[in-house]
Amino acid sequence: MDLYAMIYSSIKEFKGNIRKDPTTNQNVSSAMAAELTIVSTVLIATIMLRHLNIMLTVLIVLGLGLFLITGMPLINKLKREQNDSLNKMMFYMILTLGILVTSIYWGFKP
Amino acid sequence: MNDLIPLMVIVPIIVAILLNLFSKQNTTVKILSFLVAIVLPIIPILSNYGLHYFGGHAPLIDNGNLLNSLPSYISDGALSTFHIGITYSFESLQRILLFFLFVVGFLCILTTLGERKRIPGSYMFLMFMGLAAVTAMLLSDDIFHMYIFFEIAIVAQVGIVLASTDDLKYEVAMKYLLLGSVGGPILLIGIGFLLGLVGSVNITDIVYAVKNGLINTSSPVFLFSFGLIFFGWLYSVGLPPFHTIKSSIYSKAVPSGSALLQALSVVIFISLGITIFRIYSSLPLLEVFLIFFSLSGMILSLTMAIMENDFKRMIGFLAVGELGYIGLGFGIGTKLSLTAALFQGLNEIIITAILFIGFGVILYLTKISDITKLGGLIENNPKIAIIVLLGGFAMAGVPPLNGFQSKLMLIQSALNDNLPELAIIMILISIITFMTFMKAFHSIYLKPKPKNLIVEDVRVPRSSIFAMAVLIVICIVLGIMPTLVTNGFSGFVGGLI
Repeated sequence: MDLYAMIYSSIKEFKGNIRKDPTTNQNVSSAMAAELTIVSTVLIATIMLRHLNIMLTVLIVLGLGLFLITGMPLINKLKREQNDSLNKMMFYMILTLGILVTSIYWGFKP
Repeated sequence: MNDLIPLMVIVPIIVAILLNLFSKQNTTVKILSFLVAIVLPIIPILSNYGLHYFGGHAPLIDNGNLLNSLPSYISDGALSTFHIGITYSFESLQRILLFFLFVVGFLCILTTLGERKRIPGSYMFLMFMGLAAVTAMLLSDDIFHMYIFFEIAIVAQVGIVLASTDDLKYEVAMKYLLLGSVGGPILLIGIGFLLGLVGSVNITDIVYAVKNGLINTSSPVFLFSFGLIFFGWLYSVGLPPFHTIKSSIYSKAVPSGSALLQALSVVIFISLGITIFRIYSSLPLLEVFLIFFSLSGMILSLTMAIMENDFKRMIGFLAVGELGYIGLGFGIGTKLSLTAALFQGLNEIIITAILFIGFGVILYLTKISDITKLGGLIENNPKIAIIVLLGGFAMAGVPPLNGFQSKLMLIQSALNDNLPELAIIMILISIITFMTFMKAFHSIYLKPKPKNLIVEDVRVPRSSIFAMAVLIVICIVLGIMPTLVTNGFSGFVGGLI
């Protein structure tokens, strides 16, 4: 199945759960653009880890690349997580605070 | 005239209270709002640079007679330099940002006056109160004072959302307040930790204590205060995980209100961002956190924007995503990047106002915000379509508009700082911004008009057209002559680093 067909079926399934309007070419093009943006920007951003360690960066980029490409399509999963549900917002808020405080604690521990 | 400095906060507060008092007298509300909104941008132009000490409480070191009469452990120590009362600082950054904030505020108020026959004084109260609150945040050198006005700004923002006619306004406002009930107090606890460490909430005093080794910057209390204040900042500006609720807030307000909301958010972003940068710039993790959250905000918001079919929500996501550029400028942390970040912040205020007001006209004429149900509207309003198109170009960074100049400066600063990855991502995000905007523009203006689309036979308010025209002229002027503002920003940043 090529990327277009894969994203098309994914959007159709996703939209089917919430509304009944047809899945258009514009929907799929937008989703493909978003999908490629996510994958490319995350991988490019990961390369910044080279300031820490080059070998580690190579391993992470390869691993993450494999994970992102095998996990396609990602965008609908992301959209589901970023809806207006208060529960999800609270969950991610607490998660962020936890990560922030933990990384500060471990990041500065002598 | 340093006495004019506090007037930038006091005048809108007094007017807000008066407007609330005369809430039911429509003509009085309209005249008073218009007159004060047009006068406000003049105050930062007339004010001199300098400090204003509330109650005349200057630091002891500035009062020789009093200082000599005090014991030597006070007069010779750091205490003599500490600020006793609340201090307002007015520099080139404040002058430029406040001038443009008040101009955008005036245009939003003018648009509201033009679009509505009856204006409740309470709505105008919220607009002026929001302006006063963020002005105080930008001027204040006192982090607790900043927090108080931050909470006032949040309440004003929620009030502006509640004034709309959207069915989901109460739900969204309640969610925003609920999240704020966590974000706000966490920010306050962080400030409390700083107060406990330094014994002062004045930002200059805290920076003095940090730079002169009066406090241990690797102590858990200092680090924890950083984590908490940083988290509070994420909430206040709408970076992840708060980008969803922030875009939702924008999409539920009336368009002119959304334009003001975004302007308020940008000023809060810059005020708190500068404060965090000044206090915690010695921490190596600051740069990492700033870049990580800004990038996340840009990527998540832009990918959500392009998937949207509701243009109000789409612009909401675009506006939040663009804030990431400012964060990246702070994260790179060089003189050029900080100047570019401040310039980007200013551009953001102007450009999103054009888009919110421009697309607001569509909502005014059709009552529809779903782009799949719109089309062919260029026939009705070609002039407005062109202005909106230029606004979209400015947001995407198309030359010679102002967005291009600030984004180019940011990309240059990333390259100079050996971060080409950031430069590439910024370019990619600009392309996606352009694509998202063109998707909305094509669907609304260019594709064939749907048969069942009803466009109301009413004239577009002249105030909306005037507001957009003024804003687009500012975009063009700042695009051709960016040094009009960048010199001022650069001067301010020079004193910051």
